[in-house]
Parts: sequence; structure tokens; C-alpha cells
Amino acid sequence: MNVGLPHFLTVSAILFSLGLFGVMSRRNAVGILMGVELMLNAANINFVAFSRYVEHSINGQMMAAFVIVLAAAEAAVALAIVLAMYRNFGTVHADSVQSLKR
Amino acid sequence: MELNLNIPSWSDLRFWLPEAILCITFLVALLGDLVVRGRRTWVPFAVSVAGLITAGAYAVAAMNHGLDAGQFQGHTIMGSLMIVDGMAGFFRLLFIFASLVTVLFAWTSEEIMGKRRENKGEFYALTVLLTAAMMVMAEARDLLMLFLSMEAVGLISYVMAGYMRTSLRSSEASLKYVLFGAVSSAIMLYGMSLLYGMTGAMEFDGIRNALISGTVDPFALLVVVVLILAGMSYKIAAVPFHYWCPDVYEGAPTPVSAIFSVGPKAAGFALMIRFFYTTFAAGTDAGTQLVQDINWPLLVAVMSVATMTYGNLVALRQTNVKRMLAYSSIAHVGYLLMGFVLLSSAGLASILFYLLVYTLMNLGAFFYVVAINNHLKSEELSDYVGIGFRAPWAGAMMVIFLASLTGVPPFAGFVGKFYLFTAVLDKQWFWLAIVAALNSVVSLYYYFKVVRAMFLSTPAEGTDMSPLKLHWLQYVVLAMLAIPTLALGLFFEEFKGLADMAIGMMGG
Amino acid sequence: MFEQFIPVLLVLLVAAAFAGLFLGLSSWLGPSRPSALKNSIYECGVPARGSTQIRFFVRFFLVALFFLLFDLEAVFLYPWVILYKGMLAAGHGMFALGEMGAFVAVLLVGFIYIWKKGGLEWQ
Repeated sequence: MNVGLPHFLTVSAILFSLGLFGVMSRRNAVGILMGVELMLNAANINFVAFSRYVEHSINGQMMAAFVIVLAAAEAAVALAIVLAMYRNFGTVHADSVQSLKR
Repeated sequence: MELNLNIPSWSDLRFWLPEAILCITFLVALLGDLVVRGRRTWVPFAVSVAGLITAGAYAVAAMNHGLDAGQFQGHTIMGSLMIVDGMAGFFRLLFIFASLVTVLFAWTSEEIMGKRRENKGEFYALTVLLTAAMMVMAEARDLLMLFLSMEAVGLISYVMAGYMRTSLRSSEASLKYVLFGAVSSAIMLYGMSLLYGMTGAMEFDGIRNALISGTVDPFALLVVVVLILAGMSYKIAAVPFHYWCPDVYEGAPTPVSAIFSVGPKAAGFALMIRFFYTTFAAGTDAGTQLVQDINWPLLVAVMSVATMTYGNLVALRQTNVKRMLAYSSIAHVGYLLMGFVLLSSAGLASILFYLLVYTLMNLGAFFYVVAINNHLKSEELSDYVGIGFRAPWAGAMMVIFLASLTGVPPFAGFVGKFYLFTAVLDKQWFWLAIVAALNSVVSLYYYFKVVRAMFLSTPAEGTDMSPLKLHWLQYVVLAMLAIPTLALGLFFEEFKGLADMAIGMMGG
Repeated sequence: MFEQFIPVLLVLLVAAAFAGLFLGLSSWLGPSRPSALKNSIYECGVPARGSTQIRFFVRFFLVALFFLLFDLEAVFLYPWVILYKGMLAAGHGMFALGEMGAFVAVLLVGFIYIWKKGGLEWQ
């Protein structure tokens, strides 16, 4: 059995859908961020797979490296904000934070 | 695997000197703030102002040089990740101007400089870095740089929105911003990865060539366009990706909302113009043939109408001036998208011109709210009753900004809207122009509500009517914005010519 | 492409059937006489105390974040190291060194900032 491009794309599509589902179904801000990480990594799989099978260069891998670092930076900023919010509101549930009017 | 080494060199540095200066300014401001232990706040302030002015001077020099040589078609820098061309030059000046006036005005803002704030220097340092990141957004010509610059702007914005760490509203604003931002950028990244797979290229011109060769499946391309457009619409706060916008603008400190409502939005438009114009329209007016299968004009027109109508209708029933301005900025994104419908150079040039006008008038309106908030500690419309007479000069300038935002004739906003309307009317999109005109009429009502409260309503008995003492710097900055708003309404040819030239000098 | 997965599917089915069969058999045939001792987490060992969800001291969190950030920045060193030899040979050695120097310098400023702001203090 040969593992080819379609396998990678299938895995990444599943991962992306799981991430999106997590984002939409979670109330916990940290849970939403975990969903986002899944989505970013789905895109990373795509980039690496395409750079191996389509472009035959390292551009896609380079992109993946940058995305990994950016995802970490984003997670750090987001978690710091969640922490600040927890101190102010005493909750990490995104939908119970509603001091700003609709 | 072959290594494609397009080695950059130090000599490239002269093309991105403004960005380099701003990055160094950021570091110096941050370290300077450490050295003075956050006490003498004028240190980061002065460093930021000096850095912005120096960078602005270099940007002007580069623009002049490019215009004189008549060939500002662009130098690719950093390998081929970025390009410095006429359009990048235009946006550089716009961003530096917006940040400079914001930094100057923030110096007088209680929300930023109040006694209880412990991280004042960070605001100035971060604004400078935000400027550099926005400039990179306008220069990116590669998917990698596109994503990096958007994320950089995003990360800095999340932190700035949460500037008032102990305030409920501020931390809620930044939480909403970061959650929406992270999700939409992840969606966009997935779209970009698929585009990379379909075209085998990261650079915009490589993508264009692959699209021209016609090997790309139209349906897959539609999916990709929708995914990427989602991420970019988030950045410019277009319906249906606008949810974060009112909450963030209301919760963030007002000077931060001011720069958010102008900077990242303009940068988002710059990115959209470069990305969609160079890849999908092949950089020509004949252009939309590449997106024939997608019905691009209808897609964007529907988005534009939805955005402006939603923004205006919801703005109608706001009682908080800051929140009303947030919805009005959504409505203005709707107007701006009109120029994007046909991907023609005339439409894009009118977007650039309108962005210039919008920067002036919207910053002005937000700054007035800052100045009033310093005294009243409130942004409620009911507290604005009679405020016009307590600070007549500032009040008069606020009327200029509001009239210009509405699009009343002698002011710049009218000229900007006029160009946007003609761009769609030229191509017989009458219904779009009619809807936009009706929207402008609706907006008159809520902008006038503010003017009425300021000047025409009679305050209740016993209301404090003593004159407000505004900081002299506030008058200077408001005049810096009000005078061009007036002047651009009368002498617009020059600047419209600049916008046309910027679009004409967009390198692929 | 999905035909290739039929063997995998078969393996999964067989495994599930076997597992189900033996679980069913053991619960049907085996005696069940639970007692407090048998139900404890470690039947022969230290008694478990407290909840499994404990709160982490917030300092751990901060240090973990800083570690994560600086750790991941090292990702960018690897491609640079690989390319450095080539660039040295092509006469771009100083340029490559300068670029990495600038990168590390920016990281250093960040580190100094964290340090001076007290992010690394344990108390």
C-alpha cells in the first residue's frame, strides 16, 4: 500500500473539521484555542505534503516551521489574556463574559 | 529537493529602511522604558515620536525618489517575499501618519496615561511595532509573508486591546479579539495551504501563472477564495465576520480603538488589493477573466451591501458614541468594498483615496471622544448634551468629522464617496450605487444625533456648563486632522492623482 | 484508494469481535464480589488522596510559556545552520552571521525585558 498525497489530505481535512467542531462546540476559552491549534496543524500537514508531492521544494516546510512558531506565540498571548480575564471575571467560559452590551 | 537560494543582501536594506527604523524604535522604546523603570513616560513617548517621524521622512524620500525616477514599479526585497512599489509607498505614509497622530493624542488620554496605569511605555512601543507590521502587510507578495504580517498585526492588536489589564471591558475585548482572530486566521491558513497545493507556488506571481494556465479546478478555487476571503474579511470587519468589532472598539481604550478602526483595516484592504488584483485579475483591468467561474463581482457586492446596511442600521439605535462609531466603521467598510467589486484600477484607486479620507475623519471623531472622555469619564450620548458649547473649537471640528463621515458635499468624505460611486456606476452597477446612497441617508440620522446632543439640545437644569479645558496638544492634533478633511474636500485632484499613481505603480 | 484500507477494516472488526467476546465471557462466567478494598484505585499500594484535578501554581504557567516561546524560536536556527556552509562557500558568510545575530539580538531584548519585568522571579 502506497501512502500518497490523498492520504495526507484526508488526514488534514479530518483534523481541520475536528478543530472547527471543537471551536464551535466549546464554551471554554482554552478549549477553543485547542481547536484552533488543530486547525493550524491541519494546514501544516497540507503545506508539508504539497511541498513534497507538488512543488518538490522546501517552501512548504519553511511555511510549516513559521506556522508552528506563530501558533506558539498566539497561544502564549491568548493564554495570557485568558489568565487576565480569569482574574477579572473568575471564569474561562467565553460566553459568560458579557459586560459589553449586545 | 532543490534549494532555491535567492540570497538577499545588506544593500536591500535601503528599500525597507522605514520598517527597519520602526523595528529599532520599538526595541529602543521598550529598553528605554525599562531603564527609566516605567516612571518617566516621556522617554518611550519621545523615542516613538522621533522614530515615526524619521521613518516617515525616509518613506517620503523613497516615494519622491520613486516618482521622480518614474519607475516605482517595485523592488522585490527579502528574497522575493516583499515588494516595495507605489502602492506600498502610499500605505507606508498613511500608516505612519495615523500612528503618529495616535501616539501624540494618546499622550493626553486619561485611559492610556491615567495614574493607575503601570505599563504606559508599552502602548507607545507597541503602536510603533504595529505600524511596522502593517507596512509589511502592504508589501507582502508571498503567502508566507502574507500570513506572517497578518499574524503580527493580530498579535500586537490583541495585546493592545487588553492594555487596561484590570479593566473588565478591556480584558473582555481582548479575549473576544484573540478568539475570533485565531479562528479566522486558522481558516485562512487552511485556504492558503490548499491554494499552494493547487498552484504549487507561494509567490503571488507564481499563483497567477498557475491560474492563467487553467489547470485549476474552478470549484476548488471557489472554496479557496471563500476561505481566504473569510480571514481577510475578519481583518477589515466585513459582515459576516464583524462580530468582534463593536465589542473590541468599545472595550479597548479609545486611542487604541482609533488606531484599530483605521490601521489594520487599511492594511487589510492593502493586502486584499495586492493579493486579489495580482493573482486573480492578473494585474490588468481586463482582468476578471480568471475569476469568471466564481462570479466575483456578485460575491463582493453582496458582502458590501450586507456590511454597509448592517453597520448603519445597528448604529441607529446605539446610545454609546464609541459603539456607534464602531458600527459606523463597519458601514464604511461596506462603502470601501464597493470599489472592490469590479477589481478595476479605477475602483481600487478610489478605495485608496477613500482610505486616506476615512483615516482623517475617523481618527478625528475617535479622538474627540477621547478628549471628552478625559473630562466626563463617559461615552454615553446622553452625557454629550451641551458639550459643544463647553469646548466650542473642538466641537466645531467634531462637526466637520461627522459631516465628512456622512458624506456631505464640501467635505472630503463626499469626494471619497463620489469616486467610489462613479467606479461602480461606470460598470452599470446601479442597484449597488442606489443602496449605498440610501445607506448614506440613513447614516445622516445617527451622525446628526451626536451633533444635536452637542449643540442643539437644551441641557437639564443644574448641568455643569463650565468650559472644558482641553490639552493644547489635543487642539493641534484635531486641527491636523480637521484641516485636511476640509482641504481634501476642495483640493482633491492632487491626492486622487496620488492614489491613481499608487495603483498604477503596483508591481506584480 | 479506499480499497487499500479493507485489510485494516478487517483487522479492526476482528479485534473488536474478540475483545467483545472475551469481555462478555468473563463478565458472564466470572464471580463478582466487590469490596471496598478491591474497588480502591491501587489495590496494593499507597491510598490515593485528593482530586485528580489539582491547581497549578500560576508561576509554573508563566515559566512554561516563556520556555515554550524561546524553545520554539530555536526552530529557526536549524535551517540557518544547514544553509550556513553553503552561504560561507558562496562568500555570504558575514551576511548570514549578521542576520542570525540580529535575530538573536531581538530575542535577547525580549529576554531582558521579561527578566527586568520580574517574569522569572519565583516569588
